[in-house]
Amino acid sequence: MGIKNLTSLIEENAPSAIKSNDLKSYSGRIVAIDASTSMYQFLIAINTEMGAALMNANGETTSHLQGMFYRTIKLMTRGIKPIYVFDGKAPVLKSGELAKRYARRKEAEQQLEEANEVGNSEDVQKFQKRTISASRKQNEECKKLLELMGVPIVQAPCEAEAQCAELCKGGKAWATGSEDMDSLTLGTTILLRRLTFSEARKLPIMEIELEKVLDGLDLTHDQFVDLCILLGCDYCDTIKGIGPKKSFDMITKHKNIQTVIQNIDRTKNPIPESFPYEEVRELFKNPDVIKCQDLPEIVWKEPDVDGLIKYLVGEMGFNETRVQQGIEKLKKYKDTGVQTRIDTFFPMIKRPRDEDAGSAKKKQKTVAKPGAAGSKKKPAAKKAAGKK
Amino acid sequence: MFEAKLIQASLLKKILEPIKDLVESANFDCSPSGISLQAMDSAHVTLINLLLRTDGFETYNCERSLSLGLSINALSKALKCAGNDDTLTMKARDEPDTLSLYFESPKNDRVCDFEIKLLDLGNDQYTIRDTEYAAVIKMPSSELQRICRDLSTLGEVVTICANKEGVKFSTSGDVGSFNITVRPTTDSSAKSEDSITIESKEPITLNFSLKFLTHFTKATPLSPTVKIKMTDSAPVVVEYNIEDLGYLSFFLAPKLE
Repeated sequence: MGIKNLTSLIEENAPSAIKSNDLKSYSGRIVAIDASTSMYQFLIAINTEMGAALMNANGETTSHLQGMFYRTIKLMTRGIKPIYVFDGKAPVLKSGELAKRYARRKEAEQQLEEANEVGNSEDVQKFQKRTISASRKQNEECKKLLELMGVPIVQAPCEAEAQCAELCKGGKAWATGSEDMDSLTLGTTILLRRLTFSEARKLPIMEIELEKVLDGLDLTHDQFVDLCILLGCDYCDTIKGIGPKKSFDMITKHKNIQTVIQNIDRTKNPIPESFPYEEVRELFKNPDVIKCQDLPEIVWKEPDVDGLIKYLVGEMGFNETRVQQGIEKLKKYKDTGVQTRIDTFFPMIKRPRDEDAGSAKKKQKTVAKPGAAGSKKKPAAKKAAGKK
Repeated sequence: MFEAKLIQASLLKKILEPIKDLVESANFDCSPSGISLQAMDSAHVTLINLLLRTDGFETYNCERSLSLGLSINALSKALKCAGNDDTLTMKARDEPDTLSLYFESPKNDRVCDFEIKLLDLGNDQYTIRDTEYAAVIKMPSSELQRICRDLSTLGEVVTICANKEGVKFSTSGDVGSFNITVRPTTDSSAKSEDSITIESKEPITLNFSLKFLTHFTKATPLSPTVKIKMTDSAPVVVEYNIEDLGYLSFFLAPKLE
């Protein structure tokens, strides 16, 4: 699940890269959402907050559909245009990580059984959470739902985060919506976290901008990828005894993994048996994705009202009035047209900060540089004034 | 050192009135030529552009440009304490942490002073290009306020359709649709403040959020007239001229079908 400790590393060393904003600040933005992580969130959230998963008449879980349906509507009524990206096959290198996850889940299942016998409800809930996984069938169900809703989906050949990053880089989307920090390693320009969290939790959206991360850490993207591998990713083990701080210092000093390896004490920090960093690096830099130019055009279509009712109410046992209300909102959003964003019309100038640019945390107040900054925007203002 | 004195503190109050519901905080950029402000609402739908020129102030002294990041809410709270005829003096040191405001009554028998903490806001600025407009409409500001108020009772989106003959504001809602058309004033004896003029190069139709437009009309007390400038698939400009001092204008991004 992502890169270990990357968030705190960024918070510490590149605080200006992280912003938190209201959902409504993203109105008019196209966001590529990693469907798998959001599905997983829905399954967990609606499972544990309600005590038990929502089910249809056949006893099949419907939490993921519930979450997907209402959360997507929420996003769309706020003017956000989501594209859902689904995982394809997992890369070979991930098999180790996946096996671990599988083992953890099996273990949790066992513990759940024990807890059930003992009857400790807290434990039951805890272990229940850990046994959750999104099945292929649930994946297919979500895809069907989104298609009925008229929301575009992209099937990634491999990892969804990689495809999201490609959509961002190719300009098809403005940001990636995912919880996984790998998105940044994969080159997503802007990462939005907590996008599909329940609104009841009142957490603002966390926006991380890659460019500012690299600026703040003073690394190139290649060095950043190496840093992420050292920190620990899904694809290979980490070097024992090298934590976040040391990783960052070493990459800053030695610039790449090869040199880092040459310069560490092998007895204290043994390199794991399997440490195919070159392949992992390749996986981050050139992941298996469908290139933007080869993708069909991404469009948001009218929702299929009859289809949705038949599917959600008929097959999945949703409350008909609530589904109707949801569809009304979807249609209303379609009818009112898209609110464009003002910043697409005006190019932004980033004014230089003070001498100690980059280390913004040192300085509390920012004062525009005399002349350079102040005069930069004056001509435009004057022009507008003179015109009247 | 920055110091500026306005004869009427209430003027700043009027300027903040339409701004305070749209943005929480903004940078007041003070330079030798005046004070300017650019701010966007949190949904990034509208851009506020304010300019107060030096010559409109009673006294103005600013050698070095500086950016004062202020909470609009804090500023308007302070201004609530100013009497209608009070003068306002703003002071800040170089590299300031705070902005000081002094309100003095006309008889000089009462002085309030406020110190407002400054905020560190990003320094992003937007370039506003001067464009040719397809239509420029000048009308009494109270007229625009009334149109927005009337239309808001029914709908959420206004379609503004302008040509040489007139300007049609229309909206529709659950109960039906509603149009208001204004025509250029033909009576040559009418005062310029009360008359409507339309400079139209080509017919134009654009859609906007009524909510935002209504917000802008809170600037009505600033100026008897308002200018609406429109270009195809571009933001509309709603401009209030502040006599002898500068202007307050709002850019609103259009809604697309």
